[in-house]
Amino acid sequence: MVAKMFKNVLTRRSLLGSGAAVAGSAAAATILPSTAFAQDKVVKIGFLAPLTGPVAAWGKPGLDGCLIWGEWINAAGGINIGGEAHAVEFVAYDNEYDPAKARTGATKLIREDGVKFIMMLGGDTWPGAQPVADRTGMLFSTLLPSDLSPDTTTLIAPCEVHPIYNVTGVEWLANNMPELKTAVMCAQDDALGLPSVATYLAAFEAAGIEMQYAPLLFDPATTDFAPVVTRLISGNPDIVCLDTCYADYVHPICEQLFQQGYGGQVISCTADFYQQIVAKTSEEFMEGFVFQFPDFDDPALNDESINFQMPNEFYAEYASRYGADQWGAVSWEYASIMDLWKAGAEKAGSVEPDAVLAAMKEGGTGLHAFGEADWWGKDLFGIDNALVGNWPVVVIEGGKATIKEFRSIPDWYAKHGELLKKHMSAYGQMWNQRT
Amino acid sequence: MIELLAQTGLNALYAASYTALVAVGLVLIFGVMGVINFAHGELFMLGAYAIVAVYADWNLPYLVAVAVGMTFVGIVGLGMERAFFRPLRDNPLGGLVASIGFLMILQALVSMGFGVRMEHVPPVTQDVIVITEKVRLPVFRLAVILAAVVLLASLWAFLKKTRFGWALRASAQDPEAAALQGISINQTARIAMFIGAALAGVAGALTAPLISVNPHMGHSVIVTAFIVIIVGGIGSLEGAVIVAVAYAFVHTFVTTFFDGVIADIVGLLLLLAVLIVKPTGLFGSADRA
Repeated sequence: MVAKMFKNVLTRRSLLGSGAAVAGSAAAATILPSTAFAQDKVVKIGFLAPLTGPVAAWGKPGLDGCLIWGEWINAAGGINIGGEAHAVEFVAYDNEYDPAKARTGATKLIREDGVKFIMMLGGDTWPGAQPVADRTGMLFSTLLPSDLSPDTTTLIAPCEVHPIYNVTGVEWLANNMPELKTAVMCAQDDALGLPSVATYLAAFEAAGIEMQYAPLLFDPATTDFAPVVTRLISGNPDIVCLDTCYADYVHPICEQLFQQGYGGQVISCTADFYQQIVAKTSEEFMEGFVFQFPDFDDPALNDESINFQMPNEFYAEYASRYGADQWGAVSWEYASIMDLWKAGAEKAGSVEPDAVLAAMKEGGTGLHAFGEADWWGKDLFGIDNALVGNWPVVVIEGGKATIKEFRSIPDWYAKHGELLKKHMSAYGQMWNQRT
Repeated sequence: MIELLAQTGLNALYAASYTALVAVGLVLIFGVMGVINFAHGELFMLGAYAIVAVYADWNLPYLVAVAVGMTFVGIVGLGMERAFFRPLRDNPLGGLVASIGFLMILQALVSMGFGVRMEHVPPVTQDVIVITEKVRLPVFRLAVILAAVVLLASLWAFLKKTRFGWALRASAQDPEAAALQGISINQTARIAMFIGAALAGVAGALTAPLISVNPHMGHSVIVTAFIVIIVGGIGSLEGAVIVAVAYAFVHTFVTTFFDGVIADIVGLLLLLAVLIVKPTGLFGSADRA
């Protein structure tokens, strides 16, 4: 406990003491070898995501993963830009999932820290940073391609195609458990929840699975999920879908499903820290739980088609530093984006945003973490700035997440794209409907 | 349908129990000290973190952890009274601003001590009373309901039957007259702050195994508590309890039969309606409004 407190005091100080500059310095002190790189051969990367607050589970683990990535890259000689080795340094800014703080953070990272690329979670925070991107031409990344529009020319979604990949989980269920015929869904009413609702509705319709009633939306401030769960399971659905609920919601919802005696199939976009859900329910209850984010110690990730450096070793290092139960959906994602950015910068021989972006998108294809992928999205987002390919379907078996299959998102879209557009339109989530 | 109604009723009882504990503590502090304690949600959060530390991390018995949480948060309340509210007694706005500042300090301290991520609290018991296949009451939820009833009944007895309780009520009704009768304003303020904070702390401690424990968890609780005490009448303990129960039932039933967003809107509409029809709240008096 005492050790935990001191460890967290240091972490927290780095975030709160004097803001992101201190965090960046702390990170740099951790990941920069003292003698390997000249002072001016350092590339600074901005990390502008929620590091505190209810959405921190989709920011902080990503920064933790990036620090490992940075250490490994620097130890291996850094990034080769025009024949010269450059160290990488992450400068973090906690936007607390607040658009105003995202705007302040983006300005600070560009003007004061001189970063060359900024990674964000996106969602509600992107509208805050967008004016800064428009003004400066800075290259940004988001985990949420629903942020993309024809106006966001310097915003890319190179890793996670949330929520479109959710179709793969439903498709896998339909193929492997055809006896499941009815579903219900709940979601928080926000920029993450609603596009995911539309996607799941399209996926269920494409799979011939009937929704018992309209998705049950709840306020993000909800703490007691008993009423939500009572309603969800009142009609004995075959499938309960948890949409893209935050970890703070998935855990108590699962506990309520367990306590209220639900014995059917559960599907969710994420199951962050799922070991804790198993502890709060039972291994039997969680058996067969379907979601979309693998543990990186999964042997399936050693396949040749995977474009992530030493995934099993990365997971082992992450688990030894932060604990295996702290592994979450985004622990690898920002690091994966850095793989793409590094390849783009080395190809361009430059770290300038426009040059890197052009190099990344050259030929219209790119190496996504889960295989070769296409720059795509004009149909849905008005711009081809999302890198889309295969995505894993993960199932909890014996208390452990296991990749069952990689399925193609473009293949699904080719068959059912109109359904997705129909439901996205109904929920006001098409790029030309967003304000 | 009957089973759905019954299960929803049980869910509402649980929601009413912890909401009443938080709201009554908030009302008690305002009634005696005239301070709107914006940090009350963070006192709820501290109670939950006491469970994380004592029960989840140190593996001590859950009831010991609840007792520690209630006492610790009560002592924090005493500290708030001495450090902020007493020096700012003649400046209600100052007390409000100080409590807003203190809530941020508490969030930061907890983040430093425990980290920003959701904490895992192991279940105390997974036993469930199965009334019918569709109507189930987890034993732990029943325990929270019973604990809230016992605590609120004890508070009522304390206020009605003891000299300290009379002093508190006298101070709440008319502080100047109470002082002229020899009642120490400082002492009643200390007692009110300790009890009010301890109630928030015990509510957090009791519910910690059932909700997501994180440094920002107090926010949603304080919003509900404010709705309850405004509708009930600021300063009215009876109003807080009755409206907590009524609000919990309305919110839970609307969530179940419509959805949670509509339930929030209904809650706010109720607040607006009461403020228009009876600005002092359902059980409030004009001098406290």
